[in-house]
Amino acid sequence: MGGWAQFKAIVRKDLIRELRTRDMLVSMILFVILAMIIFHYAFTVEEGSDLTWFTGGMLWVTFIFAMLLGLNRSFAQEKDERCLDGLLLCPVDRVTIFLAKTAGNLVFLLIIQAVAVPVFALFFIERSFLGDLLPFLVVLLLADLGICSLGTLLATISMNTRSRDLLLPILFLPLIVPVLIAATGATTLIFAEGTGFGSLAMRMLFLLGFDAVFLVAAWGTYDFAIGE
Amino acid sequence: MKKLVSAPALFVGAGVLLVIGALLAFWYAPIDASSMGFSQKIFYYHAPIAAAAIAAFGVAFVAAIVYLRTQDLLWDRLGYVSVRIGLLFSILVMITGMIWGKAAWGVWWAWEPRLTTFLLACFLYAAYWVLRSVVDEEQRRATYAAVFAVVAFVDVPITFFATRFLPEGLHPVVVGPGGGGMEGSVALSFAVCLVGMLLLMAALIRRDVEIELIKDRVTDLKTSLGG
Amino acid sequence: MSDGQDRQDGGAPLEIEVEGLRKTFGRREVLKGLSFGVPRGGFLSIFGPNGAGKTTTLRVLATLLTASAGTVKVAGHDVREDPMPVRRAIGLISHNAMLYPDLTAQENLRFYADMYGLTDADERISDLLERLELSARRYDVVRTYSKGMRQRLAIARAVLHRPRVLLLDEPHSGLDPRAVDILDGLLAEIRDEHTFVMVTHNIAKGLEWGTKLMIIEGGRIAYEHAAGVDHDAFSAVYREHVHDGSVL
Repeated sequence: MGGWAQFKAIVRKDLIRELRTRDMLVSMILFVILAMIIFHYAFTVEEGSDLTWFTGGMLWVTFIFAMLLGLNRSFAQEKDERCLDGLLLCPVDRVTIFLAKTAGNLVFLLIIQAVAVPVFALFFIERSFLGDLLPFLVVLLLADLGICSLGTLLATISMNTRSRDLLLPILFLPLIVPVLIAATGATTLIFAEGTGFGSLAMRMLFLLGFDAVFLVAAWGTYDFAIGE
Repeated sequence: MKKLVSAPALFVGAGVLLVIGALLAFWYAPIDASSMGFSQKIFYYHAPIAAAAIAAFGVAFVAAIVYLRTQDLLWDRLGYVSVRIGLLFSILVMITGMIWGKAAWGVWWAWEPRLTTFLLACFLYAAYWVLRSVVDEEQRRATYAAVFAVVAFVDVPITFFATRFLPEGLHPVVVGPGGGGMEGSVALSFAVCLVGMLLLMAALIRRDVEIELIKDRVTDLKTSLGG
Repeated sequence: MSDGQDRQDGGAPLEIEVEGLRKTFGRREVLKGLSFGVPRGGFLSIFGPNGAGKTTTLRVLATLLTASAGTVKVAGHDVREDPMPVRRAIGLISHNAMLYPDLTAQENLRFYADMYGLTDADERISDLLERLELSARRYDVVRTYSKGMRQRLAIARAVLHRPRVLLLDEPHSGLDPRAVDILDGLLAEIRDEHTFVMVTHNIAKGLEWGTKLMIIEGGRIAYEHAAGVDHDAFSAVYREHVHDGSVL
């Protein structure tokens, strides 16, 4: 009841805030592109080293680290002015808060990726993969959803602890490894060989399953993560 | 806690079974016919330790759910202690696994699904530890730890499954589809070791929970004396 | 339990009913069994030293904390069993503004209006901003506001959804005298339509507004009395009940 309107209100509030200050997006985009340049220097052993088999790894490591930056910001502002209390005082289901925060983080990640992926393709991918765009986007969305839902749950916890942004990577990185494995493999196969839906189906199903499991897990535990 | 069996009795039971299991493994079960030969004997401890580690994390998972439902700190203590024991067993799994690896494949470390999953589990539960140390308020600490324990326990099998996407592993599949199966003498020796190791885990958890509860009482007494 | 038990404040129905409220954090018991009631239209002032459990009590009433034991009813609903109607019925004003600094006043209020599902959001927001003399700065980002202006906007946020019960958590702390006057003016304006619970260190303000006075110490009600106590007498009572003597 009214959950959808509240969901929209929270997402809109976060978007307005971010598009006005741009402090998170600008940093994340700069970080992502810088990371690619760093990867280029780090992995190029000799003139014209073939980095094709590293592409999936580079891309997802970059996104996951960029998201860590964003997740810390996403709750810092709620915490700083005690806005979280204001939010919790509202007659809103806690799961709605979780879903809205996840959706907001997903939008930010997609914005970053919209900038980063073309630059990445320009830097590292020689063959045109426009024909494989659809499977790539499916993998991207499925992996993003897992990263954002799990990240939002853990950021909610870490913001209430003493070490805040120091804690989040330690909690988040070991848990996100399955997504990293599946998404990296799928992305590399797409970039390197143009593998289509057929042989990626297992990985996509796996990512879908991961998303489902952690949405349910967050559903069941978010009340505890955000309350008290 | 349930007072069915005392902690010392559990320790004695575990010790007797583990010794019998070792004797059976060395003198009753045959020398492995494959390339591993005598060094395959470590399997009788390696696999039960792994089972005990998983069981301990399972106990922590159940304790976390019960804590979230009841908010009773006893379950937090049980979860905390179980993670600690599970972590201890996981480290033993990796040490015995490395010995196995050296004997079977000639390398100390292989990025092999089960070993990798245990390595990640170690980091996950180490993170649980760090999380506990940075929350001052007791109830909040217990709640966050419980939420994380739930998520972590769900994540471990998913990680294991994900490692199947990586290039082929080396681990022998002993039981299960396509596995070689076990001879009677092997199965018996293994079962004795397994039960012994699980008892040892239960005994350690049992003892440590009691220690935690005593610590709590000391804290309470100190507070009441200090005003 | 307390000196001046008086349950029959003019016979109005109780808007807030607290019975045997206990709250433990871990193994530390912060509230050790509080029972009190506030009749509709009443104004309860809660005093007590830091760490006595005042703010904890208020946060339980606000559904931000759950009680470990006891029953708490606000506006006829149990805060634990049925928190949503309670949340609709209460507004909280604290020394934290709970406003998003990067949003404008309009956007902040619009956000909360959506969260409460207000149907007449635009008129209500305009009306409140007018009354609080913030209309001119309506489209400015809150970050640029002075402390006093933020506090006024915080009041607008708290009363936006027309709550029946207002919870005040040291609303006067950190305000300059001018802002205190504005706050008091506003309280006077909305006094008749609401039931109040105010936690405060400010004895003068607490006595000025309260129809009922309460001192909490060590998680228990140390003193409870109907209003009409003068400042000196109350200060003496406060010193008697609160041993650290941190009276203002």
